Amino acid sequence: MAQAELAIRTRGLSKHYGRVTALADLDLDLAPGEVMGYLGPNGAGKTTTIRLLLGFIRPTAGRAEIFGTDCQRNPDITHRRVAFVPAEASLWPSLTGAETLHLLGRLHGQADSSYRDELIARFDLDPSKKVRAYSRGNRQKVLLIGALMTRAELLVLDEPTSGLDPLMEVAFRHCVTEARERGQAVFLSSHVLSEVEALCDRVVILRDGRVAESGTLSEMRHLSAVTIEATFAGEVPDLSTVPGVSGVVTEGHSLRCQVAGPVQPLLTALANAGVTRLLVREPSLEELFLAYYGQSVPSEGVAGVAG
Amino acid sequence: MPADAVVAAPARTGRPVPLLIARYTAERSLRSGALWGCVFGVIVASSALSYNRIYQTSTERQRLAATFGVNHAASALFGPAPELQTVAGFTVFKVSMLLIIIGAIWGLLTSTRQLRGDEDAGRWDLLLGGPTTRARAVGQVLAGLGTGATVIWAVTAVLTMAVGRSSAVHFSVTASLYFALAMTASAVEFLAVGAVTSQLAPTRRQAAGYAAAFLGVSYGLRMVADAGPGLHALIWASPLGWLEQLQPLTGPRPLALIPVAAFTAALAALAVLLAGRRDAGKGMLPDRNTRAPRTRLLSGPTGLTARLALPAALGWAAGTALAAVLIGTIAKAAGATIEGSERQVFSRLGAPGSGAAAFSGIAFLILAIVIAFQAASAVNAARDEEADGRLDHVLAAPVSRSRWFAGRLLAGIAALLFSGIAAGIFTWTGEAAQGGGISLPAALDAGLNIVPPALFALGAGALAAGCWPRRAGTVVYVVLGWSVLVQFAGGFAVQNRWLLDTSLFHQMASAPAVPPDWQVNGILTGLGLTAMLLGMRTFRHRDLQGA
Repeated sequence: MAQAELAIRTRGLSKHYGRVTALADLDLDLAPGEVMGYLGPNGAGKTTTIRLLLGFIRPTAGRAEIFGTDCQRNPDITHRRVAFVPAEASLWPSLTGAETLHLLGRLHGQADSSYRDELIARFDLDPSKKVRAYSRGNRQKVLLIGALMTRAELLVLDEPTSGLDPLMEVAFRHCVTEARERGQAVFLSSHVLSEVEALCDRVVILRDGRVAESGTLSEMRHLSAVTIEATFAGEVPDLSTVPGVSGVVTEGHSLRCQVAGPVQPLLTALANAGVTRLLVREPSLEELFLAYYGQSVPSEGVAGVAG
Repeated sequence: MPADAVVAAPARTGRPVPLLIARYTAERSLRSGALWGCVFGVIVASSALSYNRIYQTSTERQRLAATFGVNHAASALFGPAPELQTVAGFTVFKVSMLLIIIGAIWGLLTSTRQLRGDEDAGRWDLLLGGPTTRARAVGQVLAGLGTGATVIWAVTAVLTMAVGRSSAVHFSVTASLYFALAMTASAVEFLAVGAVTSQLAPTRRQAAGYAAAFLGVSYGLRMVADAGPGLHALIWASPLGWLEQLQPLTGPRPLALIPVAAFTAALAALAVLLAGRRDAGKGMLPDRNTRAPRTRLLSGPTGLTARLALPAALGWAAGTALAAVLIGTIAKAAGATIEGSERQVFSRLGAPGSGAAAFSGIAFLILAIVIAFQAASAVNAARDEEADGRLDHVLAAPVSRSRWFAGRLLAGIAALLFSGIAAGIFTWTGEAAQGGGISLPAALDAGLNIVPPALFALGAGALAAGCWPRRAGTVVYVVLGWSVLVQFAGGFAVQNRWLLDTSLFHQMASAPAVPPDWQVNGILTGLGLTAMLLGMRTFRHRDLQGA
């Protein structure tokens, strides 16, 4: 694919604040029609990346392009093809929802009014209310509708569903799926791992400002440990000396662990211990994510990444 | 105290900390109270110590007393001037109205910020989530704010006592304590005013606006009352008038503290009562949260700026116009007393000449200060757009930074010109109603003459917003605060030409007492515009910075 056709292309993109590295040597490619999940804990550099792409802050090194145009030199050109949803839903409190959407459409220069009305219905928004009377979730809806109604070729979404209820999250997923089908590229920074798992073609995981892992989910699963859950008739065996085993969690006569590399040593150990039930599955995105941060999944469900 | 410390404190002890909100509020207001106490004390000290140096002979002192002691123009602007032949009378006349106004502004801004501002930002919900009620929480905040006001009083009193020990000044301890009380009581009064408007209005901006309007009316009533003997009874209708009646250092009347205390206590009780009867996040006054869309002006960044800035611009212009009408109405009567040797003293204040024109010259100086603060307000409003993240929505669209920045500056310049023209037209209107002599072109010239210092202030703020965005407000307020201080000190005491030249307002000719100096105005405007362009250039190339 020619470079000029990429929705986002960064090379060596870096941002330092004094001695603090917010982002280091980021190489990123996002093609049209692709949805990329951008993951990382708080402070990993996700929002810094987005603010660099939008030209809000200047890189210390490297460059970023949107559809082949430099983000820093010509932000007003690149922004014609971009719509943005920030993480903080800070809007003008004296304007109503309808006035805000009108303004956002005029600022961007293009807005599909029939699609806007459809989105207002889908997201169940009362546009006659003033922004200061909206809940956080409703303010987030205004921003989502404002971005989606432009039908921009690139959607840059920074934690777009924070504050939305589950029904609205479903509506959001439908909208992103439709956008991808129309050929729009989506750059999705999110803490909701199930959302990323459901929507994204590729995932990039950041750690301390650097890319810790990237690829499709299946690629990442192949590179990662598989999860094994086993139940025993008697005592749970000690697997601490078995090669490749990590993240062992025991509960009564059951255990769960991850194994990387050859599984033969683990299967031998389980068989010798009298395993009565065995379940092998690929790791979820949540498990992959936590594995990159050196944590195991707690025995009870984890809704998302802390913070 | 940081917010997390507030949350963490009960966990350490295992039970709620008593008066936690009051302590939290007190800690937040202590620093600004100490700072403003120092400012008050320095102003008082510089005034008292300068008297003997400037007015060295008994003849000069008697002339000063004869000039201002019966001058209604000076009384209307600065309050009565008894015993100007003494350092005590001079100090009261020179600093009291300035400190009373500063104290009132501190009070209303502090209470609306800590009550309604915290509520707007959602921090109030955190406090109300603890073991308290809305009414008790407001009561505790008021107690905490009272601590801040007490610090202003204490610091002012200590510095006044320190300067009072000088043989040239000689203020007793009791007189110093009472003087400091009279100077800082306006802060307490307007803390209570702000507390009530915070219950009435749905937003901090509106709450501050209502309280500022109340301050304007109070000042206007006092001004009319002091302009001539016929309306002097009106002094008791103004909370600022009560403070004037305290007469510290010259003829103390502690009984005048009764209306001050009663007013403050009544408003504080009303604020607590109203807080218990309204929903958190709402005001008592009706506020329509829904309406049909009004998309006028919402067509781009400049239109948005105009739409957002219009209410504030109209408010400032209305306040300026009201003050101008009052000035025009009393100019003839007040100016009639400026004759003979009094001209020299008025000249020191920046307005040579006699009659209504000289009075108006000084009055326009005060209007110049007002609209310079309007410029500071415009700088802060622009900075808030960036700090709160709303600018992100504009700049994420195909809108250049220069376009947005230039739009904000153009809106600011237009608003300042509007206020200046309103000052000229309404002063002329007031004078014409009294058969005064100032012509409409001269009044308009005087109105436009007060705009260049404000344009310079806007430029300084724009440059600071470009270079040090988080300090932009501080920079412009320091420039204005210094200019006001030097201008008023220069009017009575400071003789150093270099020092006087550092004041923006000293550069301005006191039209209509003298013709505007358009050359100086051009230089001030040119410097302001240059600073704006530099600020815009810097803004284009820097990182956007949040709060």
